[in-house]
Order: sequence, then structure tokens, then C-alpha cells
Amino acid sequence: MTRRRTVAAAAILAGALALTACGTNRQEAPGTGAGGASCDTSKGTLVIGMVAPLSGGLSALGLGMRNSADLAVKQANESCAVPGYQLVFQAEDDQATPQVAGQAATKLASDDNVVGVVGTLNSSTAQTVQPILAGKSIVQVSPANTGPSLTRGEDPTGAPKRQFESYFRVSTTDLVQGPFAANYLVQKAGKKNIAVIDDGKTYGVGLANEFAKQAEKLGANIVARERVGEKDTDFNPVITKIRPLNPDAVYYGGEYPVAGPLSRQLAGQGLDIPLMGGDGIVDAKFVELGGREGDLATNVGAPTESLPSAAKFVADYKAANYPEPYSAYGAFAYDSTNVIIQALKTALAGGDYNPETTRPAIVKAVQDIKLDGAGGPISFDEYGDTTNKLLTVYTVKNGEFTPIETGTFEG
Amino acid sequence: MTATTEKKPPAHAAPRPKGIAALKPHTTTLMVVGGVLTLLGSFLPWATFVLNKGPYPAQATLQNFTAPLASSGFRLHLVLFGIAAIVVALVKRIPARHRIARALGYGTIAVSVINGLWITVEGGGLGAITASEGSVAFGAIVALIGGIVLALASRVGDLEPVPEIGWKFNRWVEWLILLVVIVLLLLLVAAVLTSGGFGATATYAGAVFLSFLAALGGFLGALHAAGLLGWVNALFDRHRGYAVILLLVAALCLPLTSAGTEYWMTVATNIGVYAATAIGLNIVVGLAGLLDLGYVAFLGIGAFVAANLSGAAASAVGIHLPFPLVMVIAAVIAGIFGAIVGSPTLRVRGDYLAIVTLAFGEIFVRSAQNNIGGLTGGSNAIPGIPPVEAFGIGFDQALRIGPVSLPRGVLYYFLIVLLVAFVMAVFANLKYSRLGRAWIAIREDEDAARAMGIRTGPVKILAFLIGAMLAGLAGAIFAHKTATVSYESFRFLESVTLLAAVVLGGMGTIPGAVLGASILFILPEKLREFADYRLLLFGIALVLIMRYRPQGLVPDAHRRAELVEEPEPIDTGGDKPTTREAVAP
Amino acid sequence: MSILMSQIVNGLILGSLIGLIALGYTMVYGIIQLINFAHGEVFMVGAYGAVGTATFVLPTAVTTQWWFLLPIMIVIGALVSMVVAILMERFAYRPLRNAPRLAPLITALGVSVALQEAVRVFYPEATAAIPFPSIFIPGALVLPIGDGVPIQYSGILIVVVALVLAFALNTFVEQTRLGRAMRATAQDRDVARLMGINPDRVIVLTFALGGALAGVAGVLYGNFYNFINIDMGFQNGIFAFTAAVLGGIGNIRGAVVGGLAIGLIKSLAGQYLPGGGAYDYVWIFVVLIAVLVFRPQGFFGETERVRA
Repeated sequence: MTRRRTVAAAAILAGALALTACGTNRQEAPGTGAGGASCDTSKGTLVIGMVAPLSGGLSALGLGMRNSADLAVKQANESCAVPGYQLVFQAEDDQATPQVAGQAATKLASDDNVVGVVGTLNSSTAQTVQPILAGKSIVQVSPANTGPSLTRGEDPTGAPKRQFESYFRVSTTDLVQGPFAANYLVQKAGKKNIAVIDDGKTYGVGLANEFAKQAEKLGANIVARERVGEKDTDFNPVITKIRPLNPDAVYYGGEYPVAGPLSRQLAGQGLDIPLMGGDGIVDAKFVELGGREGDLATNVGAPTESLPSAAKFVADYKAANYPEPYSAYGAFAYDSTNVIIQALKTALAGGDYNPETTRPAIVKAVQDIKLDGAGGPISFDEYGDTTNKLLTVYTVKNGEFTPIETGTFEG
Repeated sequence: MTATTEKKPPAHAAPRPKGIAALKPHTTTLMVVGGVLTLLGSFLPWATFVLNKGPYPAQATLQNFTAPLASSGFRLHLVLFGIAAIVVALVKRIPARHRIARALGYGTIAVSVINGLWITVEGGGLGAITASEGSVAFGAIVALIGGIVLALASRVGDLEPVPEIGWKFNRWVEWLILLVVIVLLLLLVAAVLTSGGFGATATYAGAVFLSFLAALGGFLGALHAAGLLGWVNALFDRHRGYAVILLLVAALCLPLTSAGTEYWMTVATNIGVYAATAIGLNIVVGLAGLLDLGYVAFLGIGAFVAANLSGAAASAVGIHLPFPLVMVIAAVIAGIFGAIVGSPTLRVRGDYLAIVTLAFGEIFVRSAQNNIGGLTGGSNAIPGIPPVEAFGIGFDQALRIGPVSLPRGVLYYFLIVLLVAFVMAVFANLKYSRLGRAWIAIREDEDAARAMGIRTGPVKILAFLIGAMLAGLAGAIFAHKTATVSYESFRFLESVTLLAAVVLGGMGTIPGAVLGASILFILPEKLREFADYRLLLFGIALVLIMRYRPQGLVPDAHRRAELVEEPEPIDTGGDKPTTREAVAP
Repeated sequence: MSILMSQIVNGLILGSLIGLIALGYTMVYGIIQLINFAHGEVFMVGAYGAVGTATFVLPTAVTTQWWFLLPIMIVIGALVSMVVAILMERFAYRPLRNAPRLAPLITALGVSVALQEAVRVFYPEATAAIPFPSIFIPGALVLPIGDGVPIQYSGILIVVVALVLAFALNTFVEQTRLGRAMRATAQDRDVARLMGINPDRVIVLTFALGGALAGVAGVLYGNFYNFINIDMGFQNGIFAFTAAVLGGIGNIRGAVVGGLAIGLIKSLAGQYLPGGGAYDYVWIFVVLIAVLVFRPQGFFGETERVRA
């Protein structure tokens, strides 16, 4: 009895082994990895890091950044962009909290092979990461930070002062985007009674403040200044509060997870007025979550269709089959990574990598860089901010963000 | 195919259900067979081809018969296990042979399963560890069978009780032995931390780390089975003061080992911050039995106090006080809040108290998020907190003493080690004090404690107050070390993590909280492959611990922990009398 | 005036929803004195189960008719939540039935984290909020008071369903055999066993009922806000627990009244108290602490239940 069962078990086991024995994912040229056999990678491996939220509420944005940067690194390896070296991409999760971001940055900074870091997403995490990377002269290029003080110090308009030589960003600051939105909403759209709502986060508050300042300068009336929580779901009390004040538009400083439902609940309470926001709401999810026809948003750079490089990024991203969409900051993360790769190439010209000398050279090369990215032309001013002050106003039309007008903010 | 040749060994496992007793005379043979198979497995190739992500570590694609001494990594561990098994099998004088064989067998099984599975998954199928395109690699399977045979042999044979070794030496010899043990421990900790390398270039760090842990587990299990661990434990108890000082020195020496990099110093400092906080929580939960679900708020209060008194440009207060003073102020303010949060304990008990503390925690987070009184920076956080300075040295600098150069962050590490040592000392003293006995009495039965004349109200508030002060101290260091303090670091999940650290380590014990905090921080660092599942596994682990080992990894030996059902083991007549007799109803 | 009325309407809608969730808390606590911390996640899972079925399983022809889709989704949401609640009881809580009191509470925390993460990891794109289809009459009824007081139809649905279900549950517990068994078990499990009641079955029934109500609440929530996210369970769960305590834990009418009170506190505090909407949560927690400290038996609780 027992014996028979044992024999049966052994037979089944043997059969299973035999069936699966040949299954492997062996590739033709093992060992060379993603670099392909054609590139010379004899000098070793260099690392491009990332610090972004890969888990938690903002992970949709963070994962898009990760995939886009990964795409840039892969493409660089395929095209042998940095002769002699293989590039490796290392994404660290900051869980959108400064403390974890600091730990992630330290992890990257203590690796001598790290040549640059893309990130962070949040301005609050950037504040922690900046000094750690700067201490090792590692260049940091952020695709998403908008807090003006990150580059210009405590008094960004009165007495701007560069904070870290090694910090750059390809996104514009709240100083540009907020007023640009105000110009459109007040002057072009003719809205005079505007309710301003923010989510209490660095990005949202900064944007809303700059918007309100400029709107008041242009003669508009800010009828309400309200705050909602980034994790709130029920905005009816806030809407009830602003409803009797008869606003003809709502400006929201924050990201799409709140903006979409907020827009919908506005309509639900009978307030059929447009909601306007910044680059944080320009995502297909905004409409899915309740964004309405006629809602407005500003985004950095020219519309995707008008830039061939952006169209190429979108096509390549699609071809690479990443599970997550590239989201709001994907194109900029891609550009940030390419900035680092390009600068690395310049800094290495002819020589070998040496953390002591190459890293400062990379920082210098980034400062002088000129590049046509997916989000527009890239170069940096004396504070490390992008010189690309081109912005576009979008509106939701037929369920999609459609560009209305592109321009620059002239103060 | 080739697989059939290897099908024989399971036949040994065949008679397990009924015929297991028939093998009894042959346990020695079985053990030898198991050892030989383990050795054989370690010399065979493990992977049939060089995996796409790069070669698997320990030269897994080669066979080491030609160069037996070239074994490294997990294969070296298996070689050692195999030899040890054979030695144990043949030398009959070794006590508890079967118990040792069992530990070795389990270790072998774990190592071969971890590495075999990893290669299988990375290699896209069982072909990666069996046979594929003309190359064979049965290392994993042979070693696994070896491990199973070893475990089987121990099951067949009688499991002896763990022997008690009564060796006693001259005091100096014993001190020397302790010194050696602690140095080994230090090297072991460093080896665990650095195993598998780190960074994007270390592809298989997770596997190497897990395999190393498994091997270590098997090794320690064997030592325990041989009675050696118990003996070392007894040595510790005999020379407690000396051993504690040695441990402290060893902790301070960690930067001199291979783990002495800036990265590990940062991780270790973070662990220290949470360990110190968890010990504070252990007073409240482990000793006094008052569940606090908002405890991380006290760490936050300490951190925000320190941030505001640090002279950081972004702080509203904007004064700069010397750091020792800041620590005291942070502790006092956190303590005051602790007393406030604890005051409902006068009227609320049990689950309701847990909810009250949770509510306080949420109020703290929400207020900090709204930048209450301009003190917390709200969503902007308080960035740019300057490093602690002493004797003209910024604590964030690297250190060079003569020929020894220490990495950045090492001074914070020293600071936090001293803090943890201090907190442990406070905890140990309290636990065995009159106050500590009162807490435990309240934990066991509050009404009975009151009946015995303990003024439960003030005593419970004291637990909150002292726990909060310790967390406040940790918070002050935390603020300077991370240089940014944001409300996001003090959310509910962090409170749950702290609680998990205490529960995992063992409620009411001194090393428990440190061990728990270390595990909860090191595992995610090492197992980046599972990063997405981190919290899922964390939640499941919490459920499993509560069900299967509620007393934690280091159970409280002298007193019945809050969560254990079985009656307290008879007190071993230790030096400290328990209060339970006094308060038992 | 219209502001006050509107805020009261907002409060009543949110409050009914919270009351519906609170019923699960209150029943489970009434029977086994466990704060089922994971109950909020049961509510969340119900919403995800319903929307998942509507998105991936049901044919589109069905999903365009709200009068057909609404009952289907409510039933599916209730079923999914019920199954999760039963599994939770069976595998997490039952083994700890006689364990000391901290064990089940810590287990509940673990279950809560695990459920939330399981949805995040395994449900497609659940890392961020996902849209929830509108499955009821869109738009709002505007009462002609002052500037007009809009009441959304989906909000009316919430209030009506919550009240009907609470009434039905109350009748069930008060007047049926099973309800009597539940009350008996709540009073004394051992004596109930002597009376021929199987406490394990009664406890499962309690979890199942509470779970089903939470699932219904999840679907109504999704329909009202038109999006759901994995955090919704934690937040609303805490509100619901507060509501259950406020109304007197173990008391069905109390849970509903407590829920309405919480909803009103949130909307009125956001309007009239200093700090505005940013501090409305804080006020809820202040109320919670005050109630626990000064009147732990709540509005309707008969005696203070102190657990040793």
C-alpha cells in the first residue's frame, strides 16, 4: 500500500521533472546583459540613480518616472552612448517621505559608481536629498520639483541665491506656472471671482499662492482660500462653503487624485464652473476620476504633438511595454536622465571614470548643456532652473486634454 | 532524461509514514549519506547556464570537483555542513548527535531551496537547475536530498535533550572566551549586513542574503543543539556586567568592520532611532500592558522641538541652543505630551485606551500637516537642520583618527549607540524596580494591583511619561541626522511598525525591541526584489506572529508576557523576585 | 441659512454612510468584544470587488443600464465583503478567541495592512484612485431655500438604503430566532452554548452581516463619489468606529445615530470652527476622546462595559 503510493509519487515527480526540465529563458549571448554584444563595456559599469515614490499614494507618478528613466538608460546602452561603460539604472523608493528619501540618497551617494541621480518627485523630499548628494558632488536633476526655494533660497524673488551647485531641474517653478495660469484665467477667460483651493502640500500651496498673487494683481477677486487634505475624498463641505460666494472659476493647487473628484463634486452641487490646475492634474486619470469638459490646466513645455522628440518618446515608451503609464512627469524624467547621460559623455571625453574628478565635471557639463528633450529644449540658468519657460494651457475636450495656447510668462 | 538517474534518493524518504522505525539502526549510515550528498551537491554545478542577469554567485555554473577548495559563498556553507554532518555521524562521543544533524539538515534544505528556487525563477524554469541544452546541473537537487536525508535521520533517531555543558574555567579564561565570542558576533553582524553587496550592480543580493541567513540559522541551530549556545549564555549571565560593556564596545566598533560605510552607518542610525523609540514603547506596552497606537507622535514631537531649537532657517522659533540642552528640552516636552495622552488611562482601559492613543496620534499628524502655530512647517517640512557639532566637528563629517578613517555619519552612529545603551539601561533598571513591578502588576490585573495598594493612576501616567521622554530623546537625534523633519515621517503606519518591532522582538524584554527594529529595517533593505510586497508581508507577518509566537523572538523569561496563554514556568530562583505572587488575586 | 442647510445635508449623507459601516463594528464588538480594526478594509474591498466585477466580468450591455447594474453591484459588493469578513474571522480571529486582549487587536492591525496592500498589489492600477461608475440617477435635487440647497440623488439613495438596512437589521436582531441567539451569545457565550446555541456559528453570522453591510456601503460610497482608493477603508473605518462608540457600542440604533452625528460634526466643524476644513478630522478625534473619557457608554449604552 505505502509502497505503491510511493512509486506513484515518484513517477509523478519524475514526470514533472522531465516535463519542465528543458524550460529555461537562456539567451543567445548570456552575460552581456541589456547592453547588447555590440557595445564596448570594457571599462565597467556606471550607475544612474533615482529617488522617487515607488510605493504609496503617489506611486503612479513615481513609477512613471522610473520607467521613463529606465527607458532612457536602456536606449543609451543600445546606442553605446557612453563608450567603454555599461550604464545601470537604480531606482530607490522614497515612499514620499523625507526620511526614507534621505536614506535612499545616502545609499546612492555611498556608491562610487553613481554618476547622477534623477529625482525627486516631492519638493519636501528634495530638501533632504539635495545636501546629501551635493556633499559628494553628485549631480541631481529633478523632473518634478517646483518649489522655488530649492534653487533660489528662502527669498526666491527678492534675493535669489543658488542653493546647491549640483542641483538642477527641468520643470518650471511655481513662480512661473502659477502667474501664467492667472494671466490666462483672468485676462483671456475673463474670470473675476475665483475660489482658490490647495491640498496643503509644498507643490499645491506654492502654486496656489503664486496664482492668487498674480490674479489679484490683475484685478480679479479671490473669493475664497480653502484647503483640503491630500487624502480627502469628500469635498462637499468645502464646496458648500464657497458656493454662496458665487465664484466663476476654481483654481486648484494639487494633483489629479483630488482635482478629478473635486471637479465632479463641484458639478454635483450645481456649481457648473471650470476648475483650473497645474501640471499635477494633466493626466488621463483626471478625467477618469471626474474632470469635466471645460476644465483647464497649465503644463510645462509645448504640446506633445508639436514636438517630434516628444512623439518619439511616447512611441518608444509604448513599444517598451511598461506596465504603468508614463504619467505626468515621465517625459521630464526621460529628459533628466538624458541630461545626465549627455553630461557624463562630455565629462568622460577621452578619460576614465574617477568619482573625484568626473562628478564635478558632470555637474559643470549639466550646467552648460543644450539638449532637445521630449518636453522641449533644455538648458539651465544660473540657479539651476530650466530656461524653458514655455507653457501651454490645456482644456478638457471630448475627454482629453487639448492644448489651447502656448506662450511664455513675461512677468 | 537525465533526471531519472537522480530519482533514487527519494526512495529513502519512501517508508517515512510507517516504515520509519525500520531505519532506526541505520541512522548513522543515513547521516553519512546525507552528509556525502550535501558535499556532492556543493561540488556539482548549480545552474546550467550563465543567467541573463549575470552569473549566479559562488561560480554556480562551474563544477568544483576539479578545485574543491575553490568553493565560496553558499557552496562553501554546504561544504561545511556536509563535513560537519559526516563528522557528527562518525564521532559517537558528540552529545545530541541527532539534534545537531537535524539543524544541519534544515540548514542544508533552506540553503538549497533558496538558491535553487532563485536560479529556477531567474533562469525561467527547472531547466536552469537540472539539464538544459547539453549541460547538467543537479547541485540544488542533490544538496536538497542530502538535507532531507539528514533531517530524516534525525527524525528516525531519538532526539536527545539539549545537553547542558558545565565547563567552568578561571575567570580570565572565561573573559577571554567571551571576548572572542563577541568579536565573532560583531564580524557576523557585519557579514550579514554586507552579504551580497549592495547597489544596482549587486544583482543577486537578495538571494545571497537569504542564503547566508539560512546557513547562519543552520549553524547556530547546530551550536544550540550541541549545548554550546546555552553554555555561552550561561557565561554571559556569570559575567553580565563585563559582557554588557563588551557588547557596547563591540557595537561602537561596527564602523571598523566591513559594514563601516556611510550607507550602513545611516541605516544603523535609523535602526537606533527606532530601537530607542521601540524600547520606550516597550515600557508602555510590554511592561504596563497599555496599548499605544499613536506612539510615533512622541518621536515626532521630539524631532519638531529639536528642529525648532536648532537654528534652522525654516523654523519659526529660530533660536539655536546647544544640542545636549535641546535633547533635554525635547525629552521634557515629549514627556509632557506623554502625560497628557496618558491621562485618559485614569478612566479608559484596554481597547478603548488603544483607540484614544490612536486618536491622539491622528490629531498630531493632522495638526503637524496644517503647520500648527507655524511650528512644524506643514507640508513644507522643516528642512536644513544643521548637523550636531561638538569640539568643532560637524557630526555629518567623515572622521580620521590617525591611520583609521571612519565614514560619514559615524558620529551619529556613536551617538545613537550611546542613546540606545542609555535607554536600555533605563529600561532594565525600571523593569526590576518598584515602579516596574507595579507596572507588571497592572498589566496582569489592574484591579488586583489596585487592591494591593498600588496607586494605578499615577503609575500608568508615569509609564506614558517615561516612554514618551525616551522617544523624545530619539527624536532630537533623528531631526539632526535626517536634516529634515516632516509630518510624513510620523504617520499611523509608523506607529504600527514600532508596535510590530516590539511584538516581533518580544514584549517586555530588553533586547527584543532592538532586535525587532533591526529586522524590520534590514529585511526591506536587503530584499529589494520584494519591495512591492513589503507591507503586504508585514501585515501577514503580524497576523502569523500573533497566532503562532505571540511572545516574540526573545520571550520574556522571568515573567509571563501579556500575550502568552500557558501558565508561567516555575521561576528558576533567579536573583530578582517576581511580584506575581504578591499581586495574584 | 442655505449654507447651514447644505452642510446639514452633506453631514447626513456622509453620516448615513458611516452609520452603515459602524453597524459592523458595533455588532462584532457586541458579540466578541473585539475592535475589528480591519472592518474599514472590508468596506473598501467590497467597493473594489463590485467595480472589478463591473469592469472585467459583466458584459457592457448590462453595465449601461443603471437600474440593472445598481442592484447587481450592491449584491456583489455585499458578497465580496461578506466572504472577506468570514475568512478573516475564520483564519485570523477565531484561533485567538481565548487569547489575551492585545493579541486580536494587533492581529486586526495586521489584517488591515495586509488587506489594503493586497488590493494595491493585485488589483490593476490600484496604486492610485480608480474611477467608479455612476450607477444611479445623476444630478441633484435643488431645494428652494435661500440660494438653493442641492441634494444629490445618489446621496438620497445612501440615506434611504442606510436607514432601511439599519431598520431591517434591528428587526432581525430583535425578533428572529437567530437574532435572539446573537443577543444571547453577546450576553454570555458559555450560557448561550448551554442553551443549545453554537457560538461559533453566531459569530460567523455576525461577521457576515457586518461585512455585507460594509460591502453595500462601499458600493454606495463609490456611486456617490465616483472614485475609490485603497485609503478609503482606514479613514472611514475610524470614523465608523468613532460613531459606534458615540452611539454606545453594541447598540444598533446607536451606531446609526452616532454615524449621523459624526457626519454633522465633520461638515459643521469645517464650516464654523476655527481652522476650517483642514481641521475637521481633528474635531472628530477630539469628540472621540471626549466621549471615551467622559461617557464611554455612548448615547445609548446602558452600562459601562469594562473588560478585565
